[in-house]
Amino acid sequence: MNNQEAQFVLSAYRPGGQDALDPAFAEALEQARRDPLLERWFNDSIAFDRAVTEKLCAVEVPAGLRESVLAGSKVSRPSRWTKPFVRWAIAAAFVLAAITGSLILREAAKPHLAAWQTNALSQVSALVEGHAKFDAQSRNASELVAWLRENRASAVQNLPPSLERLESLGCKTFFWEGQPVSVICFQRGEGGLIHLVATNAFAPFNRMGKSERKFVQQGNWATVTWRDGASVYMLALEGSRDQLQSYLL
Amino acid sequence: MSAIDFQQLVDRQYAPLFRFGLTLAKSEADAADLTQQTFFLWAAKGHQLRDDSKAKSWLFTTLYREFLSKRRHEVRFPHVELDDASDDDVAVSPNMNALDSTAVVEALRELEEPFRAVLTLFYLEQFSYQEIAEMLEIPIGTVMSRLSRGKAHLRQRLMTKQESDARKIVSISPEKGRQTHE
Repeated sequence: MNNQEAQFVLSAYRPGGQDALDPAFAEALEQARRDPLLERWFNDSIAFDRAVTEKLCAVEVPAGLRESVLAGSKVSRPSRWTKPFVRWAIAAAFVLAAITGSLILREAAKPHLAAWQTNALSQVSALVEGHAKFDAQSRNASELVAWLRENRASAVQNLPPSLERLESLGCKTFFWEGQPVSVICFQRGEGGLIHLVATNAFAPFNRMGKSERKFVQQGNWATVTWRDGASVYMLALEGSRDQLQSYLL
Repeated sequence: MSAIDFQQLVDRQYAPLFRFGLTLAKSEADAADLTQQTFFLWAAKGHQLRDDSKAKSWLFTTLYREFLSKRRHEVRFPHVELDDASDDDVAVSPNMNALDSTAVVEALRELEEPFRAVLTLFYLEQFSYQEIAEMLEIPIGTVMSRLSRGKAHLRQRLMTKQESDARKIVSISPEKGRQTHE
């Protein structure tokens, strides 16, 4: 590194010394310690930077700006009830509550299965509402499946053929009763989203028959849960049972 | 975010945001507008931010984007070939004690916009080169290059201002003297 290169790097060194431990500056700093000319340039540069910072921070802010910001934000903040996103979230919360109630009633004999479904729907809802983020994002679902396998998070063995044709958005993993669960979100061709939740077929699913498909339709939401070998899947979408059925063919 | 949290955020950040806006925008009024608009956006979208520690960089990034967006509406953004800008070695060193804050803001405003944004974030809020790269969505090498060359340009502008001020003093004093005698 010559002095010109060192000057280039040291130009990004903050005058407060916050970057003293940043390895990107180590070589240039060492060179400045060895070379008196470079050291002089560096000291001058730091002094100049400090002076500019002081001058800038001394710029006066117009009187009343703070009050204006606070008052303006208050009146400009959209009403919680009129924001489309919040309206949707509230509607979704009602639907989820209804689904939860329905699941509990219908699956009273199998509380664990209902609890798993409820939990899975909550995770899906959190993703859709933006309260949770994807762990990985790709438009290619096979890449997401590969990512899930690499991270030992997936029980996805085979995607339903109808989903393979869809563009994916991303995936998320979580745990339920110590078991890894994964969600992959897809964009439906006709608009909207469809979500595939997968987990290992552990205790709550022991009674499920191999060809058994459990549909739950509540409000705008339709879900179907089934077992395939060592895995259990649930599909969820905003739509009808028929629409959901079309993804199982 | 509660009203109290929002007020605390405003108290902490409105002044530095205004100063950042002032170096970007044409006037104090535009800078105040940018500051206000940034907080409006925070009020509407800030809740989507998962990590509270990112609030500060979110505000600065948003103000910068608002500035760019506003400017695009005013005039088509000219493409600045920074590689063609002169790359003079720093041989000049202005006497900073002789310059006030206004002169520094004016000198920054005279720089090409890409230099201006990087330098202001560096000086005003002491953002690191990595943070600036992330906020402005440009490579780290570009940030370093703009800092290095932007500082050289800033020094030159400040020197010019200093010399100009000195000339004014020399030319005005005799006039004043003559007026006194008349």
